[in-house]
Amino acid sequence: MRIAVIGGGAAGLGAAGAAKAVDPSAEVVVYTADTDVAYSPCGIPYVHGREIDSFERLFLATKEQYVNTGIDVHYETTVEAIDAKSRTLTMAGEGVVSYDRLIIGAGWNYAKVDVDGADLDGIYEVKYIRAAMDWDQRLDSCKSAVIVEAGLVAMEMVAALLHRGIKVTVVDRAPWPMADVLDPDIVEPVRQAWEDAEVDMQWGNWVTAFKGDGAVSRVETEQGDIDTDIVIIGTHKVPNNPLAAAAGLQLGTTGGLVVDSRMQTSDPNIYAAGDCTEIPHGVTDIPIQGLTGSHAYAQGKTAGTNAAGGTRHYRPVFVPWGLLAGEWMIGGVSFGETLATALGIQHVVGKAQGITRARYYPGVRPITVKLLAEPGSLRLIGAQMVGGEGIKERADFLAMAVRVGLTVEELATMENVYSPAIGALNEPISVAAQNLLAGL
Amino acid sequence: MGFAHWLRSNSEHYLAIDAQRRVGARYGARAPEKARGAREIFWRHVFTPVYRLLPWGIRRRAIAILPGSHRRDWPIRSGRPRGPAV
Repeated sequence: MRIAVIGGGAAGLGAAGAAKAVDPSAEVVVYTADTDVAYSPCGIPYVHGREIDSFERLFLATKEQYVNTGIDVHYETTVEAIDAKSRTLTMAGEGVVSYDRLIIGAGWNYAKVDVDGADLDGIYEVKYIRAAMDWDQRLDSCKSAVIVEAGLVAMEMVAALLHRGIKVTVVDRAPWPMADVLDPDIVEPVRQAWEDAEVDMQWGNWVTAFKGDGAVSRVETEQGDIDTDIVIIGTHKVPNNPLAAAAGLQLGTTGGLVVDSRMQTSDPNIYAAGDCTEIPHGVTDIPIQGLTGSHAYAQGKTAGTNAAGGTRHYRPVFVPWGLLAGEWMIGGVSFGETLATALGIQHVVGKAQGITRARYYPGVRPITVKLLAEPGSLRLIGAQMVGGEGIKERADFLAMAVRVGLTVEELATMENVYSPAIGALNEPISVAAQNLLAGL
Repeated sequence: MGFAHWLRSNSEHYLAIDAQRRVGARYGARAPEKARGAREIFWRHVFTPVYRLLPWGIRRRAIAILPGSHRRDWPIRSGRPRGPAV
């Protein structure tokens, strides 16, 4: 069996590895337009910020390791067309090749900032590692940067640029950072930290043009011009699906590929995984797109297993997530108040401020937990958090709590670890649940 | 972009702006900018109030008929087992 994989990211390589594990005799070929595979693009902002000393540390495996596992990776190879009927791919330089099963892990792109000058040099999309190496050198001579839209990568890049001593301006139509996802009370410590660091935050403003002689040197906005050495695009992810759409595969309302729990697309011989797909949300059943690397990898494993003849099912997602924005960790599960309000989902809220270790133990940090529950049943339906540490573990736990249908009554009486160095006497999740119940 | 994608993209964006206004007011945060132009005025002052008037059950059914992964086969959430584990 010949299994072709488009894309060398977490989804594509997860799929390739799983397919080879299920059927070692299968010929597994990965086509990637990138120069490398198996690196962590999510780590790029931390190298720019000097928290990580080298881009080399972001590589998870060498090219030789893939050769040794029998996975044939074709680098810098762009797939130009999929013919689902004849089960062939057309490649620049390689011509037409056939497949028995195809797995698409084509990933995502930044939403375009569709204004004059968008093709100027000096506009940086944080994504590919070799490009990031070049950009990192350019940052050495930068004194100012404009970040267009305070999306997820922007949250990390603000901190990185500040660490490099670069003056940062954020331009965003929205009224606060990551406003389509985050609640204003949760993101407030980050916004305050940016204000303290003299980040010029231009909320309710938008770019009208990029100007410069070859390279961008000025950003024109609705509220005036900003001189800059570099522009960083921080817009949201959109699925990279022109190829799949041209092949006639069904796309959903997000623009992501429609898949079932086996990650099978509308064509029975084609599977898909990662940011090019859409997955039903576990609470609302509404398909969503643009999840995390761990989601992409798990979906890739599912797609690869099934493509090779095995059986594996993915599940609707409850989306535990987190990120580091300077000194603050932010995270959540499912949705917060803003998204619940946008959807019109009735909810009750409980919130608590606590600490992450015993109050006397060095390194203790504040943490705020907000829980959302369904009125009546009091089942947990979402959460958001901000704190100095301990966000990831709580997000993972709360995602499972939503998935199995725990109520805030159960969370209010949960047991918790107490040990001065790693946990405080009162668990803020439990206190938030108690506060929610007290407010009913 | 097909109609369903266009509808979701716009409704999501403008419902989010309305939610930012409501939730922002609750926490004393900055409000979104006022609507400008006919397009924004339609989505923010016609579509959004109508959407909000609909009960969740109707909204859910409307969303359910749109094309998407939710219409394919997915495992349903299983209830938690009750009683002793051992």
